[in-house]
Amino acid sequence: MSTEKNSMVKTLAELPRNVVRSIFRNPLPSSDRGRAATSFTNFFLHIQPVRVSKQTLRPTYTMGLGLISFFLFVILTVTGVLLMFYYVPSTTQAYGRMLDLRSSVAFGVILRNMHRWAAHAMVAVVFLHMCRVFLTGAYKPPREFNWLIGVALFLLTLFASFTGYLLPWDQLAFWAITVGTSIAGYAPLIGKSLRFLLLGDATVGQEALLRFYVLHVVVIPLAMGLFVAVHFWRIRKDGGLAKPESEPGAAPAAAAFPAAPAASTAPVPVTTVVTAAAPARRFTIQGLVRGPFVKVGTLDEDTVFSWPSLLVAELFVLMLTMAALIAVSFFFNAPLEQPVNVMHPPNPAKAPWYFLGLQEQVSYSAFWGGIGVPAIELLLLVLLPYIDRGRKGVGRWFARERLLANSIFLTFAVINIALIVIGTFFRGANWQFVSPF
Amino acid sequence: MEAATKAVESGAKQMHRRDFLAWLSGVGVVGSALAAVFSTFFFMKPRVTFGQPNRFLIGRPEDYPAGARVAIDAKRVCIVRDANRVAAISTTCTHLGCIVAPSVTGFQCPCHGSQFDVDGNVTGGPAPKPLAWYRVSLTPSGELEVDKDDEIATGTYLNV
Repeated sequence: MSTEKNSMVKTLAELPRNVVRSIFRNPLPSSDRGRAATSFTNFFLHIQPVRVSKQTLRPTYTMGLGLISFFLFVILTVTGVLLMFYYVPSTTQAYGRMLDLRSSVAFGVILRNMHRWAAHAMVAVVFLHMCRVFLTGAYKPPREFNWLIGVALFLLTLFASFTGYLLPWDQLAFWAITVGTSIAGYAPLIGKSLRFLLLGDATVGQEALLRFYVLHVVVIPLAMGLFVAVHFWRIRKDGGLAKPESEPGAAPAAAAFPAAPAASTAPVPVTTVVTAAAPARRFTIQGLVRGPFVKVGTLDEDTVFSWPSLLVAELFVLMLTMAALIAVSFFFNAPLEQPVNVMHPPNPAKAPWYFLGLQEQVSYSAFWGGIGVPAIELLLLVLLPYIDRGRKGVGRWFARERLLANSIFLTFAVINIALIVIGTFFRGANWQFVSPF
Repeated sequence: MEAATKAVESGAKQMHRRDFLAWLSGVGVVGSALAAVFSTFFFMKPRVTFGQPNRFLIGRPEDYPAGARVAIDAKRVCIVRDANRVAAISTTCTHLGCIVAPSVTGFQCPCHGSQFDVDGNVTGGPAPKPLAWYRVSLTPSGELEVDKDDEIATGTYLNV
């Protein structure tokens, strides 16, 4: 009787600790072995390597742009799902629901602001991330395919933002989508069919609103989630972020090909040898796996443990992103103009800002501005890693060996940004040139 | 066993049963995938649109006095009436889809400044094409019917 009681009390006393231990297999690590095990045994942390290069953590190298893009994507998913609870994709109700967010939904305004500004920010940050990858030569072999995934993610980001633009069903939304889909209609042969398929009707109306809604809340986010997963996975399989060819203290490149792991007959311990095809991503024995634990050998690379170095860096970027977004959302309201009036287009009617460069080009030449030049630019982006086969200047900003490539890219980038700035600020009524000052 | 050996010996080009079945499965899988893509495409392409009909009545010819140019914004069409003939010109700008407004010189787009003459030909601005003309017909009841799915040559009138 007394023994049973004692064991019951003991069980109860140990209950919290046992629950915690069942969730987190390791106590907070105090040794290198513990730090490795923490990364290794946690589902969310095991996506990252146990150790990362110091270059990866250098803020001036990546500027955290890819990570900010991902965090914005997560923020957009969360705020978007919350907004879905109050939104109705109907031409008669959508605008009223926007007003309801202002007047009768707790935190409705700040959530909509966050969603709106995060969407704009994501387009910009994904573009800047692409610039970073280009200017550091990080698309070079073996990372060609990940560049392609990145281009696909950039296009999906634009499309996600574009489809979301229509949903408030105000004048800004309606005419921006009218203009945007008209640009798509300039494509030869398929243009008109594409526009009809996208709108589900001859003009922007209820069908278009429903289609854009479904694309915006289901199809595009799912596709993006899949591509993001592949993007992250490829980063690891391609040996982490791009690093300079020769690192101080690294062995000569010729000796840098460890043999493939031999088929071992010994049950435990299992020796994991991470092999690599390129000298730039050479690894030695990553760890000895015994049960859920990891023993880490000495590494001659300039690396640190992911726990806590990488994790702290990531959380810092997350906090900065959140702080900036909340601050902006606190002070600036997302635009909401008059409800749609299909008979009164505003003058000038403008596409979303990221398509204003395109619209500016269309005002010079319908076909070349709207379809020809963008198609050539996109083709160059896609083919880039297969055209530029040089292996020099990887992992450094503005490497001298890449002067030509970087100059060409920057020229394209600056021209496109200039066109967007002109379309946004210097175009007034009748698309006449006006001074914003 | 003997049959199998025979099949192998009878020529390198002859396909083994296993290879044939694998090939058949491949065709089946790829074919099904293609069929799925095509059927999704046809599913997404609406057979019926729920917005405004593209064919509609605009009243009797007498409703439009000679020389009248009446823009019906809701239908995005401008009815042009000469002495004894009628035509329907699109008021959707060929540049980026705004609604053009009739002006003394023809049509003027409020969005990006495209200008058209009275027949819808481009006279200025970024518009790449003239405004479309739609077929107008007289129904048995004596009303005018515009069909926006039927674009006709500029300057084609219906005599009434």
